[in-house]
Amino acid sequence: MTAILDTPVVARAGGGRKRARRRDRGLILFALPSLVWYLIFTIGPLGAMFVVAFMDWAGLAAPASFNGMENVDRLLHDDRILTASKNTAVHLFVSLPVIMVGAFMLGYFLNLKLPGHRILRVIMFVPALISLSAMGMLFVAVLGPTGLVNSALDQVGLGDHATAWLADPTWAMPSLILVTIWSGLGFTGILFAARLSAIDGEIYAAAELDGANHWQKMWRVAYPICRDYFGVLTMLQYLWTLFGSAGMVLLLTRGGPGESTSTLSWLVYRFGFRSPEVGYSQTIGLVLFVLGIVGLVIIRRVFRARY
Amino acid sequence: MAVISQPTTVDKAAPAPAARRRRRKGPSRFTPGIAGSYVLVLIYAVTLVLPLYWLFISAFKSQLDAVDAPFSPTFSSGFDNIRDVWRLLDMGDAMLSSLYITAASLAVTLVAAVPAAYALARSQGRIATVFERIYALGFLIPGFAALVPTLLLAIKIDMFHTQEFMILYLPASAQPLAVILLTQFMRTVPQELEESATIDGAGRFRVLRSVYLPLTIPGIATITILNFISFWNDYLYTLVIVGANPHLRTVQVALPTLQGNQGITDYALVCAGTLISVLPVFVVYAVLNRRMENALVQGALKG
Repeated sequence: MTAILDTPVVARAGGGRKRARRRDRGLILFALPSLVWYLIFTIGPLGAMFVVAFMDWAGLAAPASFNGMENVDRLLHDDRILTASKNTAVHLFVSLPVIMVGAFMLGYFLNLKLPGHRILRVIMFVPALISLSAMGMLFVAVLGPTGLVNSALDQVGLGDHATAWLADPTWAMPSLILVTIWSGLGFTGILFAARLSAIDGEIYAAAELDGANHWQKMWRVAYPICRDYFGVLTMLQYLWTLFGSAGMVLLLTRGGPGESTSTLSWLVYRFGFRSPEVGYSQTIGLVLFVLGIVGLVIIRRVFRARY
Repeated sequence: MAVISQPTTVDKAAPAPAARRRRRKGPSRFTPGIAGSYVLVLIYAVTLVLPLYWLFISAFKSQLDAVDAPFSPTFSSGFDNIRDVWRLLDMGDAMLSSLYITAASLAVTLVAAVPAAYALARSQGRIATVFERIYALGFLIPGFAALVPTLLLAIKIDMFHTQEFMILYLPASAQPLAVILLTQFMRTVPQELEESATIDGAGRFRVLRSVYLPLTIPGIATITILNFISFWNDYLYTLVIVGANPHLRTVQVALPTLQGNQGITDYALVCAGTLISVLPVFVVYAVLNRRMENALVQGALKG
């Protein structure tokens, strides 16, 4: 993150610099409305979460009172949380590596600028343009009992394998994971392509002289150069998957069938709005928050430059 | 971070890469590995395009056709589905609500972010650095984390179930990206321009309006495009704060109401509704193509 933060220091002659300093003092006030506004609406609610998490609060209209560690105690003995943690782990550990490794390779591929790469690039942008609700409805229709997938299976004579994918306990979670990968892979690939295009072609040429093939150029040349960037995108994708799954779960399965697609993020939403226990919902939110920070630290470690 | 590239006007930059591409292309690039990868990428591309194609053709056919001939464009029910779903979801109202929230939020975002970016680009004090750090941290806070407390805030200030709260919330959530990107653009404005304007007696606001604003139009365009997509597409916050009142809800909130508790029954209607909801963004993408792609890549930090 430091790259964006480094301010180019403009060297000026002594007197002029001092005068400029004085003149600049009032200037920072221009940034205050934006910053205060941002803090009120982002950091404020986030801080409130830490308070609400230790409250007994049945619904948004109901009175609230502190109940100490009761929510935490309940959380530690809640089977629902255990299931949701497992589901979250599966969701993350399958989709995150597939998206990151796949997107890096996709980015390298797009950057080869083979015939058709321009149209492929346009197609890869599609998931970045579609809203969550449209994507949800699209997949509800695609994966539904008479949706696209089942129609296609029927057309090729595999109609026996048709099922209501999102209502099937075996297939609901894999469907959610596939939708996550579907929506994350293309655009992340584009981002990698943009980063990789900044690598000097001569570096590849040198590797080619040494007899490197594409696989080696990808992982031995390009990857070490972009490792920092890889790490940053992994962090963002991790946070997005960890926190953001509630929206897709709400639209596709509402945690079902049974508890098979109930993630921690979904439980925050569920206890927040569907069967309101606002305090408990935020206790789970706190768990997500801790998982987010722990995950960031681990990812940072993994991708720390080792040269 | 490398994503934040220097501002270039797209029209000028476009021909150059094309020329370079042609020169660099060597012979025999299709090794077996590359051919295999090409197939994999094509399969993924098909999974991206096929659902959209299916969505499009299903929106214009009867429910019966959708099951019998899922992949052929029969156009058997014409615009009936579109008309039905438009009426069923009060799409006219929903479009206006979406438009109101998006346009007002865009305006407010810029009004707050432009002066802030100017201040950060030109201040050299420690405070400016701290401010920038705070904005940068914002990228790491996923919006969903604060959903419930934000709702509590809306209730507290008596703005629950109003569109206006979204017009306060959305610009606030957009500040980190908008300010940091605009600051990048403003740093490219030569300081001498400002100095000569100051000598001519221009005040701060005058300098901002007459010197910086015209020179950062590409940056403002980028911010506007990015935020147009994210404001127009916002779902969860709008759902819980504005709610499902047909007069207030946006397109994104209206659409999923097609799905009852028993899942969906009429696929054709769902496809028609989804088509209507994605159309505005796709139309803008068709018009702005390159510019939008650059904007999305530059704004990649948004979590």
